[in-house]
Amino acid sequence: MKRTHFRLSPSQKQRLSQAQERCRAAAGGFQASAFVNVGDTIPVDYDNGFLRGHGTQLVEGQLLATVCGVVERVNKLISVRPLRARYNPETGDVVVGRITEVAPKRWKVDVNSRQDAQLLLSAVNLPGGIQRRRTATDELNMRDLFTENDVISAEVQTLHQDGSLHLHTRSLKYGKLENGQLVKVSPYLIKRLKQHFHQLKQYGVQLILGCNGYVWISAIPPSSSEIVAIQPATNQRAAESESRETGAGTPEAQNVEITRDLRERICRIANAVRVLGACGFMIHPDSIVDTYEASLTSGIEPKQMISGEFHVRTVEREADQRSKKGSFKGSARHLYKAVAARGDDQHHQVYVQVSISRSGSTRELCINGPVTSSSADRHSAGGWPHPT
Amino acid sequence: MVVGLSAAEKNYIAGGIAVDLRSDGRGRHHFREFSIDTSVVPQANGSARICLGGTDVVASVKAELSTPPSGRPNHGKMEINVECSPTAAPEFEGRGGEELSMDLSRALQRSFLGGASGAGAAIDLASLSIVEGKLCWMLYIDGLVLSSDGNLLDALSIAMKAALSNCGLPKVDIISGTSPEEEPDYELSGNPEEFSRLETSLVPVIVTLTKVGKHYIVDATAEEESQMTAAVSVAVNKKGSVCGLTKRGGTGLDTSVLLDMISVAKRVSQSLLSTVDSEILASETRHNEEL
Repeated sequence: MKRTHFRLSPSQKQRLSQAQERCRAAAGGFQASAFVNVGDTIPVDYDNGFLRGHGTQLVEGQLLATVCGVVERVNKLISVRPLRARYNPETGDVVVGRITEVAPKRWKVDVNSRQDAQLLLSAVNLPGGIQRRRTATDELNMRDLFTENDVISAEVQTLHQDGSLHLHTRSLKYGKLENGQLVKVSPYLIKRLKQHFHQLKQYGVQLILGCNGYVWISAIPPSSSEIVAIQPATNQRAAESESRETGAGTPEAQNVEITRDLRERICRIANAVRVLGACGFMIHPDSIVDTYEASLTSGIEPKQMISGEFHVRTVEREADQRSKKGSFKGSARHLYKAVAARGDDQHHQVYVQVSISRSGSTRELCINGPVTSSSADRHSAGGWPHPT
Repeated sequence: MVVGLSAAEKNYIAGGIAVDLRSDGRGRHHFREFSIDTSVVPQANGSARICLGGTDVVASVKAELSTPPSGRPNHGKMEINVECSPTAAPEFEGRGGEELSMDLSRALQRSFLGGASGAGAAIDLASLSIVEGKLCWMLYIDGLVLSSDGNLLDALSIAMKAALSNCGLPKVDIISGTSPEEEPDYELSGNPEEFSRLETSLVPVIVTLTKVGKHYIVDATAEEESQMTAAVSVAVNKKGSVCGLTKRGGTGLDTSVLLDMISVAKRVSQSLLSTVDSEILASETRHNEEL
């Protein structure tokens, strides 16, 4: 991944490090120490034993990190998830990739993984949606479907023992991508969600967040614009209508007139993704729209979004948001302590991580270790004191 | 550098340039933001690193004592060389990297070294002379490409200008031998406080105009460069005079377009030069504060 640099004046540098410090402080407790550098000791409970996972090494009885990243604990298994890594595929992931090679009966696709992925001719939809065996003629006409350097969206079909992966585009929503631009970010910044195709109707922009860190930002393909509006938030209806969507890559999709206004919106979204990627913040439609709106309210041009000043402001805004949640996180920490203390005599380590949006609704609940369902319920179902 | 783009992306880039809004939000004549850091190579007399978007280059100036070039007894010497490190990017491996470094070196030599008589060089060569006909400074200006995201030539020229501004030549005490007959005897001052700066106000910067479709753009990214039909690099100094001109790419250019490009390059270079100067100054003050 190419790192882009942005200029920072000494005062901006100071503001940036202060904001970063606030972000860390807002995470609080054990999460603040979750980030490790190469050679850092990882605090573990030696009495109860632990399992050494990826990215760690035992040196003179101490568990050290061998990569830069975030400590992850699952029961006794302790591993470090590196911050700079290639894409680790999982079956069912939505990915955005670039065709690197047209081979016999298959395409090779760069998906930022350790190997190029394979897209078999039998795993794509033929034009017109005809279901039949692929013939030698189909094989000769493969370049009519996808040719070298084409950007496509696809889904991971299978992973193989030797590390190779197979893709498929057997849904109309997958296929060739057009009328837009590709932005590359670190794969760990994109969470696996129900929905990876987002139509930001208010801007007329389609956003495909590939799990592999490739983000495609384009105009909404015309064929899908008549279909019921798809909100960025996941809901049942969205999932249904998505399957009815006609994918990009159809002939009419190629002739979209991109007005300067639309181009500017695409560009703003792309720069929002770039900024979030450079700052290491999670990339999902909410954060992108938030950054987009922030750039509008501060009245800056799209090109100024990749300046140092906007990066600093983005980090400061994130720090503000996190510290607002901070008091709540604090109570989460107390609860964690209580649970962990109780777990102590049972030789159990328990972590409860809850992320709560500002409106107070639970976004994610992550429990590592055994917790009775009643207490887990209590954490998520509003049993916690409200921050206000 | 090979960048694979799909037909759709090529269209999108060309369309953006046509409406004066490129993929990263810049207009046709906007430079990316860059930062300059000076004194990055401790062994060199002067050095600078510039990060321009994803492009990252280092330039260093190493001064050595030498004899003046034949026929020009009161001149010093300068040499420019650029290396594209294959460890930096896989595309610099083998022949590709060598050719690219040759191209870059040649373009920089054309813009910085002046004519065969040494006239019009970026640095007044007479200022490098120590003892006429006997002793002079030889400046080795080296550029190293660490990563490339387009517009390497402009970045290298800025880095070299910054490195030359950063360059300090130690004081040379001539003990004896100033007469034409005897060999000069000299002593280099060991005092790090005693050094002289070069006069760098007339060192040019290079502005490359890349023609994509019907229009030409400034500071192209690697993706945009892959779509170019022709590129003209114009070296302009503070006075606004053109010090060098290099054209790359197979397609011919109309004379009127070329003249137009030069005038745009002149306009862009003046604002670029003032940014470069203030960045160099900022970096120098930062260093002085740290010391």
